[in-house]
Amino acid sequence: MPVRPLNVGVIVKLEPDFSEGNVSYNPDGTLNRAETKNILGPHSAAATLAAFYCKVKYDARVAIGTMGPPIANQALKQAQIISNADELHLYSDRIFAGADTLATAEVLRLGVSRMNNGLGADIVISGHRASDGETGQTGPQTAWKLGYPFIGNVIDFQIDQENRSIHAKRFILLYGFYDVIEEIQAPLPVFISADPSYKPSFDTVSERLSLARNLNEARSKAENFEKYLQVYNSEALGADPRFVGLPGSPTIVYKVEKIPKAKAKRRVEFIDGNDTAQLDMAAEKLLQLMTEAPIK
Amino acid sequence: MEKYDVAVVGGGTSGLTALRQLSNLGKQAVLLEAGSTTGTKNVSGGILYSKKPKNGRVYNIEDVFGREFIDEAPYERAITQYILHATSRDKLYSIDLTPVHEYQINYAYSVLLSRFVPWLAKEASDMSEKMGGGVISGVHVRSIRWETGSNDTVIETDELEPFRVRAVIAADGTNSELADVTKARNKFSSEQLYQGVKVVIKLPETILEDRFNITSEEGAAHLFAGDVTMNHIGGGFLYTNRDTISLGAVYHMDSMMENPVEPSRLIDALIRNQFVAEFIKDRVPTRKANQALISKDEEIRQHFMAVKLLKAWNNLRSDYYSRDGIKRLIESGKFKTKEEIEGRINNLEKELVEKYNCEFGDNYVELEYSARLIPDGKRCRMKTPYYKNVLFVGDAAGRGVFIGPRIEGLNVGIDDAVRAANAVARSLDRNNFDEQYLGSFYTKSVEESPYTRDMKEIDKEYLKIFLDCSKHIPKDIVGSRYGMIFKLMSSSTLRGIAVGFANMLGFDRLLPMVESVDTYVNVPIEIAERLGRHVDSNYIPNTPSLQERIAKLDYDDDSVPHIQVTKPRSEFMQKMVSLCPTRCYSSENGDVILQHEGCIECGTCAYETLWRHPRGVKGVSYKYG
Ligand SMILES: Cc1cc2nc3c(=O)[nH]c(=O)nc-3n(C[C@H](O)[C@H](O)[C@H](O)COP(=O)(O)OP(=O)(O)OC[C@H]3O[C@@H](n4cnc5c(N)ncnc54)[C@H](O)[C@@H]3O)c2cc1C
Ligand code: SF4
Repeated sequence: MPVRPLNVGVIVKLEPDFSEGNVSYNPDGTLNRAETKNILGPHSAAATLAAFYCKVKYDARVAIGTMGPPIANQALKQAQIISNADELHLYSDRIFAGADTLATAEVLRLGVSRMNNGLGADIVISGHRASDGETGQTGPQTAWKLGYPFIGNVIDFQIDQENRSIHAKRFILLYGFYDVIEEIQAPLPVFISADPSYKPSFDTVSERLSLARNLNEARSKAENFEKYLQVYNSEALGADPRFVGLPGSPTIVYKVEKIPKAKAKRRVEFIDGNDTAQLDMAAEKLLQLMTEAPIK
Repeated sequence: MEKYDVAVVGGGTSGLTALRQLSNLGKQAVLLEAGSTTGTKNVSGGILYSKKPKNGRVYNIEDVFGREFIDEAPYERAITQYILHATSRDKLYSIDLTPVHEYQINYAYSVLLSRFVPWLAKEASDMSEKMGGGVISGVHVRSIRWETGSNDTVIETDELEPFRVRAVIAADGTNSELADVTKARNKFSSEQLYQGVKVVIKLPETILEDRFNITSEEGAAHLFAGDVTMNHIGGGFLYTNRDTISLGAVYHMDSMMENPVEPSRLIDALIRNQFVAEFIKDRVPTRKANQALISKDEEIRQHFMAVKLLKAWNNLRSDYYSRDGIKRLIESGKFKTKEEIEGRINNLEKELVEKYNCEFGDNYVELEYSARLIPDGKRCRMKTPYYKNVLFVGDAAGRGVFIGPRIEGLNVGIDDAVRAANAVARSLDRNNFDEQYLGSFYTKSVEESPYTRDMKEIDKEYLKIFLDCSKHIPKDIVGSRYGMIFKLMSSSTLRGIAVGFANMLGFDRLLPMVESVDTYVNVPIEIAERLGRHVDSNYIPNTPSLQERIAKLDYDDDSVPHIQVTKPRSEFMQKMVSLCPTRCYSSENGDVILQHEGCIECGTCAYETLWRHPRGVKGVSYKYG
């Protein structure tokens, strides 16, 4: 009996590029989103890699979705280069603005159901969390809304297509205690979040051949990624205005801390390693700095 | 366990040709290459020949890769001049060997393998994918084995799960691990090998063309014999690429063992030859230390500024001396005329000299240092180039034509690869991989190759052309023994008899007589001294230290050494202290110790060590090759 093809959905997020020189702040210290360069966040990239793994290993169909303004399509293009995705979804509407994680999850739930020619997804993959003030709740909440079991911090997984189940390894860090690798078996459909350390490995000849083929395909697809892009507004998603955007967001923000503006104050001094006098001076300086440094 | 029809081990020119030919024949094959990407581990001189022998046929690269090869492949230049120089300390006598070079060829292209091989890989893998195969790089084949009761071969790698195949083509180079594992042949000994050492030198395109008196469609090859090898059997070569020069030399390993000199010193000697020095000369900036008393901060600011300007100068100048470059600059609107670009270059120079302590003078720019062993097919070609269902091709089979100025391994490996692929395809069709059906058939095919003939006997016609080219050398020039041979050979009636006699003796007995320090060093020196012209260079090239050369190479160090020293006190290993091209060996209390980190996998030390290639992706990656 031929196995049912595997449909994968990934939800990603466009994030400000926090690497030096790319961040821009408003005068009041808040992030200037318009000026800051945006990239596919590292956590989303890990999720995308997990989808690529499904593509290479199980010949899966992959759809990638994101909620955000139209510029978010850049993140989708990046995600396509990584994963050789077949569909790129952008969920974009003014009324989605101001959404908290729950309202976002509602949009994503609807998005997932539109994925893969409306077949939805057997596995939905998200990143562990985003780096711009997200709390790691979007994934689990979307899973809850979809009614899928949720497996977090996945570092490795296999799919049994015949029995329609997943066997996943998840990494649990118990601070100050010890680390645990937990193995979980769950039926499909399932929602997993990829651990930031996730790295797929391809260990057989057929996987490596498929890897090479997919990398080539991804490159040529991404060259005209617009062809794969589908934009959905609230209406197209069939969203209930009460559950999306600001009205759908029960979260009360108690206090916002300003982003500590790190004004570059570093000064570089070069020291000739062969010159003992200069080395002495450097050691003294370090000692002084260390004794003066406030201990927090 | 997964199963495929054929495994090709090694993604150099030979392996990729085998893969493509199998795909052309509709067969499924998987090629495994240890380098992180194809082309990072291959080194050649290298002139790639396409030939049309009068007797018999050879398979050329375009027979396999199609006409696209000529139009699309990233080769460097068509070599149209071929000149041999006999050198002494300050004299040089040149013989135009272009007719020898053109003997029975369709064309000859200079190539840089790190650019050229990836093109072959793309072409071969595109075709192979259609047959369910392809190219997998970053995978090192560790071993192969046969399971009892099955004809299939199991391929074991350091990176992937083992898999089964029905036949194997071993294209894994001179230090073939498959030859070791299967014991299909012994390791090559120093008598059978040459050590090749090479540097790639930068020279802007049109300067290069002016200097070598060639058009953009042409290229030059210059060969050197005499004092440049520092008393070793061997010779130097200089091939023009598009905007670089491949300069190198090959040394017979026996003579290196007898008289060990560090390979980097040998190549320095070649670079400093006055004639070579003039060929590679370029305008090169140097920056003096600042004498004035300035603060550290100011010094750093000046340094960064100078680096920025030097980069701008360098890029602009490379463009200025390249046809496409000039076009690009003018089309971009940045400059209106060629003169304007020249003006800008001069201004940059002026600024660098006046403000940033730079000096511009004669020197040369070295881009990459490399070394590799080359098998001398006359002495070491495998007589039965197979073991069970494993067929050996190219360097792995010890097959290369090495006669006088001829160093041909690329074309020979390509010819072998087609024959091996054809033999394997035939076996797949009949599902018969018996030695009599596969191995013997391949052996017979290889024996029929005109290249094999060249490895077995002297080609009278070739010799005649060679002697015609050298007819101006007086017969009495060299000691009575060689003078005698020379005279014999120059007479058309006697030549036939002499060649016949020589071929009767066979290469085995002939070679020690002909390939000697006398013929390779002393005779050319005498010719240069007696007939040559003075050469003078107005500068001495500033050659980089070995440390600097190593620092320029890309490595992905393997924590596990791929070489194990088993005889730390042997005479052979003691010589490695000098003969390793990157000085990986040192001697401590009489024991030879290896530090594998700088290893460029040349294979020189393989004879008395447990030698493997590094694991997949690991080790050196060449940018030019
Ligand atoms: C200095 C110099 C000058 C030369 N000049 C010329 C010239 O002008 N003209 C000419 O025709 N020939 C010349 N040659 C010879 C020519 O370069 C070689 O004969 C030719 O490159 C051999 O090709 P190959 O594919 O057989 O082997 P290689 O190019 O050595 O390829 C072997 C490949 O196998 C891979 N490999 C090895 N072991 C494993 C393993 N276990 N698992 C996976 N992969 C593995 C290696 O990484 C490598 O890519 C010259 C050689 C040298 C060194
Ligand atoms: S260690 Fe051996 S293989 Fe490596 S560069 Fe030195 S001689 Fe060559």
